[in-house]
Order: sequence, then C-alpha cells, then structure tokens
Amino acid sequence: MLFSVLIYANEDFIDALSSEEREALLKKHRTFHEHTKANRNFAAASKLMSTGTSVTISRESGDYVVTDGPFTETKEQFLGFYLIDCATLEEAIEAVKLLPLDHGRIEVRPVDFFEGSDFRNGERLVINAS
Amino acid sequence: MANAWLSTHLRAARPRVLAALNRAFGDLDLAEDAFQEASLRALKAWRQDQVPNDPAAWLIIAGRNAGIDAIRRKSREKLSAPEDLEPAFDGTHPERELTVSLDQAVYRDDVLRLLFTCCHPVLRRDQQIALALKVVAGLSVDEIARAFLVQPKTMEQRITRAKKRLQAARLTYEEPDAAARAGRISAVANAIYLVFNEGYSAAQGPKLIRATLCEEAIRLARLAVRLFPEEPELRGLLALCLIQHSRHRARLTADGEAVTLEQQDRSLWDRTLIAEGNILLEAALRSARPGPLQIEAAIAATHTQAPSFEATDWNEIERLYRALELIRPSPVVALNRVVVLARLHGPAPALARLDAIAAPLERYANFHAVKGSFLADLGRMEEARRAFELAFDLAGTEAEREHVRAKLKELS
Repeated sequence: MLFSVLIYANEDFIDALSSEEREALLKKHRTFHEHTKANRNFAAASKLMSTGTSVTISRESGDYVVTDGPFTETKEQFLGFYLIDCATLEEAIEAVKLLPLDHGRIEVRPVDFFEGSDFRNGERLVINAS
Repeated sequence: MANAWLSTHLRAARPRVLAALNRAFGDLDLAEDAFQEASLRALKAWRQDQVPNDPAAWLIIAGRNAGIDAIRRKSREKLSAPEDLEPAFDGTHPERELTVSLDQAVYRDDVLRLLFTCCHPVLRRDQQIALALKVVAGLSVDEIARAFLVQPKTMEQRITRAKKRLQAARLTYEEPDAAARAGRISAVANAIYLVFNEGYSAAQGPKLIRATLCEEAIRLARLAVRLFPEEPELRGLLALCLIQHSRHRARLTADGEAVTLEQQDRSLWDRTLIAEGNILLEAALRSARPGPLQIEAAIAATHTQAPSFEATDWNEIERLYRALELIRPSPVVALNRVVVLARLHGPAPALARLDAIAAPLERYANFHAVKGSFLADLGRMEEARRAFELAFDLAGTEAEREHVRAKLKELS
C-alpha cells in the first residue's frame, strides 16, 4: 500500500539552523532513504522550495484567482513529502520514526490513487532544482 | 548539542517575539532585556523533546512578565509607592490562550514596526545595518563589530547612539496608511539589502565576502517574504540576494583574490539558489509592480541564464539598466550601464560616455578601473596605467587592490 509522508515544520526555524544542525537533519533523512530503499519501500522523495516561491490558484465566481504565496495563517509550512510503499500502516510508521521529528511534525496518509512511472527502484530519476 | 537546538529555537523566534515586546513596551532596550530574560527562562524550562508548541508565544508571555517585573523594580527604586501593577505570571506558561490572539495579522504588523524602527530614515545607513543585525537577527555586538572590522566598543557606541536617536525622534506607532506602509516596506527591503551588500562586497578590510552577513540578510529576507507574500519588491529582494549569493564559491580564489564575473567558473555557482531566485523573480514580476530590486534581480538572473560570459544577453541587460536608471538613477548604475554598452559597441563610445558621468565618481575606485580597462583595450597604455594607479589608491579592500595590481601587471 502506498503512503504519503507529509513533512511540516516552521520555516523560521529551518532558516535559523546552523550548517551542522542542517547536516544532522539531513543525516536522518539519508538513513530513511537507505532504510526504505533496502526494504524496497522507497517510491519518491520531494523537497519543496521555500513558501515564498509559491502561488495559490483558486476560483471565485467563475474566475481564476492567482494569489501570491501559500495561505499564511499557519505556524508550520509544508516542506516536502515522501511516497513509500509499505504493507501496513505500522510498517510506514516505523520507517517514519527514522526521520527528524524533534521539530515540526510528519503526517502519514494512505494514497488513494497513484499514477506514475515504476518507482520501485527509487534511484532512476533524480531532479534537482537546476 | 541539545542546548544548541534550543538556541536555534530562540534565534528563530526572535524577530516575532522582540517585535511583540517592542509593541508592548514601546522601548527597544526594555524589549531586548525582556527577550534576554525570557530566553534564560526558556533554557531552564524547555527540554529538547519538550519545546512548547508555539515557542514564540511562550517567549512573548515570559518576556512580557519579565518586562513588567523590570518596570516594577525600577518604579520601586524611585518611589516607594504601593504596588498596583498586575501580578506577574508565576512561570508556567499556557501559551495556548495567547496563541489565539496572536494571529498572523498581529505578527505582521509587529514585525514590520520593528523592522521599520531599525531602518528608520533618521538613522544613518551604518546605524540601520547595525540595529537590524543586533535587534532583529540577534547577532552579538562582538559579532557585528568583527563583521565591520571595528572595535566592539565602537560598535556598542554606534548602536547606543542609534537608539538615542530613535528616542529623540519620538516614533509614533499609529497604523500606517497604504502609502506609508509601502514606503516602510521599501525601507525595510533596502536595509536588508544593505546588510547583504555589506557581506557581499565589504567596503573595507581584507575580506571581500563575509558570508555570515549574506546569510543573515537572506534569513531576514525570507522572513519578510513569508510575512508579506503580496509584496513583489520583497520577493525581488530575496531573489537578488539568492542569485548573488549563488556565486560565492566562484567569486574568490583559494588565496582570497576576487574573480570577476568574466573569469568565474560557472560550474561553481549554486544552481539550487539560482533556481529558487529565478522562480521568486518570476512570481514577483507577475504582479506587474516593478521596483529597483526586482530589476537588479532580473539583471543578476540574466547573467545566470547565460551558459558562458560570452553568451550573455547584453542587450537584455542594457535594457534592464536603462529601466533601473529611470526608476532609481545613481552614478553607479550609470557606470554599470556604460560597462554593458562597451560590451555591445566597443570601448571607444563607452569611454566617451564615461567622461559625461565622471563627476560624482571621481573618488570611486571601480570607475578608474573601468576607465583603465577601456583605455587598455584602445591601446592607450600610459593613460590606462595612470587610471589603474588611481584605482589602486582609492581601493577599499585588499582583494580590490589585488585585482587592480593584476591589471597593472597585464599592462607591462
């Protein structure tokens, strides 16, 4: 079963991290990558750019409205997500425990529908921002 | 390590908390002391795995109580009047109540007020930068002094004088109207850019780049964009800082010598920062409210889109400089435009234009360096040498001098 692992944290905090602290967080993410790849759970990883880069599209009385930024009334921002393929919710939760959880929170939610390339090897496609 | 994480929480919450305390007390010194006290209480009360849900709200309550205590102590010292202030909180902080009332709108106005206080036009530029770094970013006086290569005592005095000046100006805290608000936001954007530039091209001293200042400026710009996503000039500012900073690995040799854009190894540019800068700029330009920082960001972005220096779209850059000269004319912009014109039409017409804009740039090292290279391109070596020698004498940093020295060597 496919699970979305949705990562939320406060961007003010993320921006204030020192490079050592950033490295400590990344180390946990790498552990998560290795673990889920070894178990063939890993499907996709996606880290989002800062919320300042985003626009929000909605529709009001039949017109498209594009506004700058995300909805700002939240203390935590959506920073990125993983897709993992686990037999049970329990297994997904165990894997997510490897991720940095001291700051912010992570939502695990089963995927209802997915269409995309065969991801089970996880390594084939890496797109960096550039 | 645990303590380091906690101080990162404090650093992250600082602008918001200090902004709220500044509103509560109307006094920067008192707000800073109260924040300091609240931080000490947090370091005692918080655990690595038990940080409050909303650290900022917790700190605001603790800071407010600390501030009230301090005011009460002072008034007790002055007169032994009976105690009639509200009893202070006893140290346990149910931050939830306050969180409800501290919505985003209040935060925004508090932080804007704080930033504007630090960037107030009654202050000199160096005072604005020092205050923004001290009060908003939370750098220590020693750190700021080191960054500006002055004695800590000198920096302390600069900050004290700035605060006195603000007090003398009797800032009013009423709600600004739309025009005043736009003016304030542009003042804040400019001050953050000053901080960035101080790190990017230090006016004096041995080091051309001071990464800490650049990174602090980027952090402040990110905060500003988050609070005011509808202000395109703030996104332009962040885009500009990110794109300029993306070159930091390519701008200096291992020996700390400056490398010009022409000579830089473009594979050393940080592509992730460039990508983020470009998308921010695109989002900003969608609003069709151009400003000088957006145009500067567009110039920087155009450079990043060229695979090599030779392949740069100089026509586009010339158009952008022309736009910049229209909305924010300055001698340095005029000089930059002449440099671009030389790329397009050769050194002879550019040299002629240089004379027309020379007057305000006589003491500016780069003006003479540019003039020297035009003259050298035209084969007028003796005049080129004199221009470079003048540039050498006026140069503010060792890296700049080294650059001119290399040019002089090329001549002989």
